[in-house]
Amino acid sequence: MARDKQKRSCGQVLAEWRAFVWDPRSRQVLGRTATSWGLILLFYLLFYGFLAGLFALTMWVLLQTVDPHVPKYQDRLATPGMMIRPRTETLDVAFNVSAAETWQHYVRLLHDFLEPYNDSVQAARNAACRPGRYHEQPDEAVPNVPKRACRFARSALGPCAGLGPPGTAFGYAAGRPCVLLKVNRVINYFPGENKSINVVCAAKREEDAARLGEMAMFPPNGTIDLMYFPYYGKRVHVNYTQPVVAVQFLNATANEDHHVECRLNAAGLRADDERDKFAGRVAFRLRINRD
Amino acid sequence: MVGGFSILLWIGAAFSWISFGIQFAQGAESPFDNLYLGVVLALVVILTGIFAYYQEAKSTNIMASFSKMIPQQALVIRDAEKKELPADQLVVGDIVEIKGGDRIPADIRLIFTQGCKVDNSSLTGESEPQSRSCDFTHENPLETRNIAFYSTTCVEGTATGIVINTGDRTIIGRIASLASGVGNGKTPIAIEIEHFVYLVAGVAISIGVLFFIISVSMRYKILDSIIFLIGIIVANVPEGLLATVTVSLSLTAKRMAKKNCLVKNLEAVETLGSTSIICSDKTGTLTQNRMTVAHLWFDDQIYSADTSEDQTTQPFDQSSQTWTALSKIVTLCNRAEFRPGQENLPVMKRVVVGDASETALLKFAEVVLGDVMDIRARNKKVAEIPFNSTNKFQLSIHETDDRNDKRFLLVMKGAPERILERCSTIMINGKEEPLDSEKAEAFQTAYMELGGMGERVLGFCHLYLPENEFPDTYPFDTDSMNFPTSNLCFVGLLSMIDPPRSTVPDAVSKCRSAGIKVIMVTGDHPITAKAIAKSVGIISATSETVEDMAKRLNVPVERVDRRQATAAVVNGMELKDMSLQQLDEVLCNHSEIVFARTSPQQKLIIVEGCQRQGAVVAVTGDGVNDSPALKKADIGIAMGIAGSDAAKNAADMVLLDDNFASIVTGVEEGRLIFDNLKKTIAYTLTKNIAELCPFLIYIIASIPMPIGTITILFIDLGTDIIPSVALAYEKAESDIMNRRPRNKSKDRLVNEQLAVYSYLHIGIMQSVGAFVTYFTVYAEQGFLPTTLLGVRVNWESNAINDFEDSYGQEWTKYQRTYLQWTGYTAFFVSITIQQVADLIIRKTRRNSIFQQGLFRNKVIWVGIFSQIGIALILTYGLGHVTALNFTPLRFQYWFVAVPFAILIWVYDEVRKLFIRRYPGSWWDKNMYY
Repeated sequence: MARDKQKRSCGQVLAEWRAFVWDPRSRQVLGRTATSWGLILLFYLLFYGFLAGLFALTMWVLLQTVDPHVPKYQDRLATPGMMIRPRTETLDVAFNVSAAETWQHYVRLLHDFLEPYNDSVQAARNAACRPGRYHEQPDEAVPNVPKRACRFARSALGPCAGLGPPGTAFGYAAGRPCVLLKVNRVINYFPGENKSINVVCAAKREEDAARLGEMAMFPPNGTIDLMYFPYYGKRVHVNYTQPVVAVQFLNATANEDHHVECRLNAAGLRADDERDKFAGRVAFRLRINRD
Repeated sequence: MVGGFSILLWIGAAFSWISFGIQFAQGAESPFDNLYLGVVLALVVILTGIFAYYQEAKSTNIMASFSKMIPQQALVIRDAEKKELPADQLVVGDIVEIKGGDRIPADIRLIFTQGCKVDNSSLTGESEPQSRSCDFTHENPLETRNIAFYSTTCVEGTATGIVINTGDRTIIGRIASLASGVGNGKTPIAIEIEHFVYLVAGVAISIGVLFFIISVSMRYKILDSIIFLIGIIVANVPEGLLATVTVSLSLTAKRMAKKNCLVKNLEAVETLGSTSIICSDKTGTLTQNRMTVAHLWFDDQIYSADTSEDQTTQPFDQSSQTWTALSKIVTLCNRAEFRPGQENLPVMKRVVVGDASETALLKFAEVVLGDVMDIRARNKKVAEIPFNSTNKFQLSIHETDDRNDKRFLLVMKGAPERILERCSTIMINGKEEPLDSEKAEAFQTAYMELGGMGERVLGFCHLYLPENEFPDTYPFDTDSMNFPTSNLCFVGLLSMIDPPRSTVPDAVSKCRSAGIKVIMVTGDHPITAKAIAKSVGIISATSETVEDMAKRLNVPVERVDRRQATAAVVNGMELKDMSLQQLDEVLCNHSEIVFARTSPQQKLIIVEGCQRQGAVVAVTGDGVNDSPALKKADIGIAMGIAGSDAAKNAADMVLLDDNFASIVTGVEEGRLIFDNLKKTIAYTLTKNIAELCPFLIYIIASIPMPIGTITILFIDLGTDIIPSVALAYEKAESDIMNRRPRNKSKDRLVNEQLAVYSYLHIGIMQSVGAFVTYFTVYAEQGFLPTTLLGVRVNWESNAINDFEDSYGQEWTKYQRTYLQWTGYTAFFVSITIQQVADLIIRKTRRNSIFQQGLFRNKVIWVGIFSQIGIALILTYGLGHVTALNFTPLRFQYWFVAVPFAILIWVYDEVRKLFIRRYPGSWWDKNMYY
């Protein structure tokens, strides 16, 4: 069984390689003649061209079959998620009251976020809807007609609207920060089963509630009006303004971490999914440092 | 066999643990994924290793059971008492007693013998029993008469001896240790698998490193790049393949065992298939290993007898009176007897007490005449002279069963020339005629002819003693020979040979058409060897040896052109004087070779010579002395019945029925498994691309991850395992015994075409099909393909829980992750569905599936159903186990890839059609693997 391979010297190996790269005798480059290379390249050009074409075709067919206004399935979004603003890399709001540079970017983010909520913009683009009930706009004869959006008054956020003098914006300078809460957009979602819905915030652990201190909700009670629902999708519901709720921490103990959890309080909504910590609720860390 | 891949997987596992460590230190949210992955990878390596070991151990166990079957006992005289002891408890100086039928328990020097003969064939290759005495006759212990060797058998007589060597120090022990010293290199299949592992590992490492560099230069974090690298390695390594190969080989080994080839070393299964030279023993392997009457000569005519294994009648003309006389001599002048109690067995299977020639004659007579013992009883023996080497004849005197004939009948058999010397008349057509020179000439011609056929010839004569000289009461005395032993009446000749097994000529011609050279190596006389070689076709009817040519052309042997002779009969003595070059020349120039009168040691030289020609050599052997040659051969084949334990230990394979024809069926199986392993590997490699592409596109286009590492493992070790084993059951596409043996350096198991076709053709098509499913799933959930490009960083961010889809809806991280898992599942299902098509197309490499038959291999369908069944269980049964990353999948997504599966099938049919239509064309060269 044992047959020793002939050991080849380094020079031989090199010569073999050179002959492989260019063999003048058989006029082969890398083991193939020019014709062979030509054929093989042509073949792969055609083959991959065909596959690419086929892929493009199936993608085109796919896009033709997909409704551009409403996705085919929404089963994954049965419980809408919640998010906070300002949003950073992590779900943290942490700053030092006396060092403006530690909270300035939060303020800027909030200002940017609330730009489209300015009363002027709202008045120009959106309709005044009847509060307290869903703002349904069924398609009559023409499918997918553009839908009107309801006005959301920025001023309803009170001190968290950021409309005051620049220094006091969103309470960060005073160590009473505002955090905005919003519910994820889901097409044709009717929350609350026709009953009013609101957002409540609390310390994640009950025993921490005292140290977190008092919170103020804007609009009062953290209510979200039903008129902002349903959402019809970005194609027909162009100017849709997502309702927000602001929470202001009035008296949070400084120099320690607070774990805050806000949840959407709506009938028929389950916000206790073990795996999805953001379904119908949002948790974030708050830390206010004082020198 | 496991080496290459396991290292890659260990690297993958190590990377997983490293990235787990880093993530854990950084306090990321779910770092345990990587820990699990590392553990799973390590488990895969360990389990594959254990599995391979278990398979090997199982076949080794079969061997172990062989040697343990009969614990050898020895009769020892110790403390003036006879004791039965296990042979391994003997010590030097013990006195042991031996009788006929015993195996010698150690090397012993004889101090007392009585008609003792030993069979040294396992040691020296001499087939005749050697007589032993207490006399020191030769310096060489192997030649001297007063030593009996361990593991040889005492055939007859009794003896007492002193133990002089035990265990490893015996002659046999020394040979056995010599055998273990002969190098045991890699089997051809091990070389092929190594080549394949290098190839795949090369692809894995180069793509892995390339994309590591790309991802680093694309500003991915090093940690992420490492995780990509793990994915690429896992996708590229066919984790289940080595286990599959082992299973396929052991399935074939099982099938071969059913056909009487017991394979000890799994890899030897394939080695047998690539065999290009078989060096076969004669006795017992090519022949039936029993003397049988082959020809008769009486009435000046040669008759041939039936020599097949299960003769029940003899077809030659039995009407002549001469035959009646001859049959009487054959029956009466014979000391052999059937062991009692075998009346129900066929004659040929009965056990006989007596030597080989007498046994042959006894069985022959029993077949032709019926109850021999009865005939003997009716013709009572009154005197007898047994055969001895000085007389060279055997004689007996009988009363006849003819009541009216009161004469005694003297019958005699022996060496034909000696018998003829004693005769003055010859019986022709029942009448005694004077033996003139013309008749003597006829006798000579017949004798030469039968002898020329390599047969052992015996002459028969008789004489009716005149009644007046030898009355009833005549006291016959065998010592003084008070009866005539000359002027007898010559009756006829019988010739005997150990005839070839009836299946062998067919098997040899199969070997011939399969391009396998069969070389006979025997200790027998050249003439006998040549005769058998001719009758089984090792030397074909038309070819001539140098000697034949010289005889035909009537010129001296030296003047014949050696190159023109296709056949050669090489004598052991000639071989001894040959240089290596001369031996190479003989092996090279002659296609039909017989080595006669060779010693087992010379077998080793012959094997080495064949291997110098670049051949894969199979060697058969039974004796202890054969074990070095068996070890040296690419595949050593020991005889299961006649073989010694040492031979069986040294061999890679054991022929349970000692039949050459079984080797040929083994070759067929070996070739089939090579073809089928090609198919298995092609099948397995294909989906590697479909597993790899997701990573590459994920890195380049930053789309959500299409398939998870764990999911890949579920394909490689779950859905794909049974189908790839099922390919081992595939029937051959054409007559595999009609092509030449595989050229070791050219016909690789995994060649360029196989890799290219699997990776770049079918693999890419599978990837396209799987990606279509992936994009469909995402699009129908709200993420259109264009939205997905470049989203990776935000998609994977834990802090972003309002990720916007194509419709303006917002998704939390978990909602996205769940969708991603659905994507994994869809991708997995698509690969599985397309692997069904891949499995079907891999059934053949050249023929259309419809020529091969879609339903002939039922196991393939077991494979397909298992594949789909496992996929269903994973998706719907385990879809809720988070760690496995499967989710229940909408039913319609199972069918998205079906058009691509059909496309794969059609494409492959077109490929095969062009290969069949245009053999040798550019297409054939590039597309046939």
